[in-house]
Amino acid sequence: MNESSEQRAKCEISFTVNGKLQTVHAYPMERLLDVLRHELGLTGTKEGCGEGECGSCSVLIDGLLVNSCLIPILQASGAKIVTIEGLATDGRLQFLQQSFLECGGAQCGICTPGMILAAYHLLSKKPQPTLEEIREGLSGNLCRCTGYMQIVEAVAEAARLGAVR
Amino acid sequence: MRAHPAEYKLVAPGTLTAVLSLLARDPGVWLPIAGGTDVMVQYSAGKLPARKLVSIWNLPELRRIEVSADEVRIGAGCTYTDLREHEIVNSEFALLTSAASWTGGIANQNRGTIGGNIVNASPAADSLPALLVYDAELLLVSAQGERRVPYANFHIDYRKTRLAPGELVRAVCLQKQFSGYYAHARKAGARNAQAIAKVCLAALGRMAEGAVEDIRLAMGSVAPVPIRLIETERIVKGKQIDPQLIQLAKTSAAAEVRPIDDIRSTPRYRAAVAGNLVAEFLEHLGARGSRNENGKDVLARWNELPSLEAAQNILPCCGSKAWARGMADRRPIFDGAALLAACDEIWKSLRESDWLEAFRSHPRIGESRSPASAPAQSAAWSGGEQQKVAAAGEDVKVALNEGNRAYEQRFKRIFIVCAAGKSAPEILEILQRRLQNDEKTELHEAAEQQRQIAHLRLKKWLSS
Repeated sequence: MNESSEQRAKCEISFTVNGKLQTVHAYPMERLLDVLRHELGLTGTKEGCGEGECGSCSVLIDGLLVNSCLIPILQASGAKIVTIEGLATDGRLQFLQQSFLECGGAQCGICTPGMILAAYHLLSKKPQPTLEEIREGLSGNLCRCTGYMQIVEAVAEAARLGAVR
Repeated sequence: MRAHPAEYKLVAPGTLTAVLSLLARDPGVWLPIAGGTDVMVQYSAGKLPARKLVSIWNLPELRRIEVSADEVRIGAGCTYTDLREHEIVNSEFALLTSAASWTGGIANQNRGTIGGNIVNASPAADSLPALLVYDAELLLVSAQGERRVPYANFHIDYRKTRLAPGELVRAVCLQKQFSGYYAHARKAGARNAQAIAKVCLAALGRMAEGAVEDIRLAMGSVAPVPIRLIETERIVKGKQIDPQLIQLAKTSAAAEVRPIDDIRSTPRYRAAVAGNLVAEFLEHLGARGSRNENGKDVLARWNELPSLEAAQNILPCCGSKAWARGMADRRPIFDGAALLAACDEIWKSLRESDWLEAFRSHPRIGESRSPASAPAQSAAWSGGEQQKVAAAGEDVKVALNEGNRAYEQRFKRIFIVCAAGKSAPEILEILQRRLQNDEKTELHEAAEQQRQIAHLRLKKWLSS
């Protein structure tokens, strides 16, 4: 194989998304964000800044919150990925989604999937966070509508309900 | 212009050896990428000069934190989250934990690595001032072998380091020599979260007899590389902290920094803040100097207790009554170093039955319940020490459980290991190795582990 064709080679990469095994044919430097949205049609994950500042593209990889705009797809090989589409079961919203809905934690909606995943990650590590811990857990997620009060309240409410067990 | 992924190559050889031989084959061609929090930003903006990348993310060889008696060796591939969750890093190198906690948000902390922060060589990098004050050394590795260099000489200019082509940072080595110091970290940024520093300070100080016995100051974002404020340190060292000294230090720090004018701040603002941060640190240090300096308050109270009570008081640190009595008999003890030395001497002089009594005060590794006879403080400490085991996967826990059983059958006592900061797989590996020991070797190994546990607990006890 000569250098240029080697450089342009796509490869097969497998991982699970929301419990389902997926195999994609992609360039290894494609961003996980793009693969999720364009290859797999999972458009719940949003692109905001594209440089790890805003958290709109947050997903979980092996249980850890990450910015999918900063992950080359090759590094997701073999990983277990959860996107916002993976939280609801059988058409029933997950507790956190429900509490965002009830507390008015979403306005334009761009930050919401990332906010919910960041909150999910926080509650899985600290089921009963303090207000300070909620703020820290969401500090990597920007809301351009600035509706932070309702978002923080939604997370506190979900914690009260024992959202993540 | 956005980058097109087809123009880039990325490989993931999976082991350190394979990565190093790739780097050696074409030196300077391959760009290592770990968590991607810096490289991917450049890539997405179309500003990444390299076209060939090699993934070093999650290489097991780079993701360990090894703790020995004198040193903590942090694998370069450890993330900020790894640092924040590591008990020994927290207790011995609090400045590094603070820096980790304010680097980006949680998602970036889950991916960004300490090695990446070092080689990215930004003057604003949060963890670097901490490495300066702790006199960190870097272990560098290439296909030719390893070398160890002081971090202080590693950054030579703006975004320039002494890393040779084909070389990687393998680990950051920190000597455990600052446990008696007051640690203070402060970052001034545009906001609390996700900000890049306008100025950040990492500072250590130790008071003795009302004066500053030692002081170490380092700052980021105030020069082309993170710097030590040597001149300001010289002015403060040996002096009593009063308003006059604070003013002198403030002026000196403001003059010692060489800040630039950029998107985030102006030189004048940065210099003024640099002075203020040093002043703030000295105020804290001064206020602390009159309180529990290196645990002196705790020791002073303990020295005055009746003998039996003094033994009872220190027993949670090491569950042998003979040891606790021995410690009480050694009083008065005036500082932490003398306390640790007494601990070691007495521990070594004990009989086997006393050692066994101390071993019995611990819960089994992987079991949260301490023996009913263990003091409440001891049980609480056990919980903290075994934090990482509690978080382990079910399969590792099952294997540990089996290992515990095999150990108890073979040696007729529970398996003792200084679990603080060790992950469940690491402990499992140690357990399996020690199962091969003969009785005498194993008894001494267990006793050494118990000694290390006692040291950790005595330090906590001193700061209580």
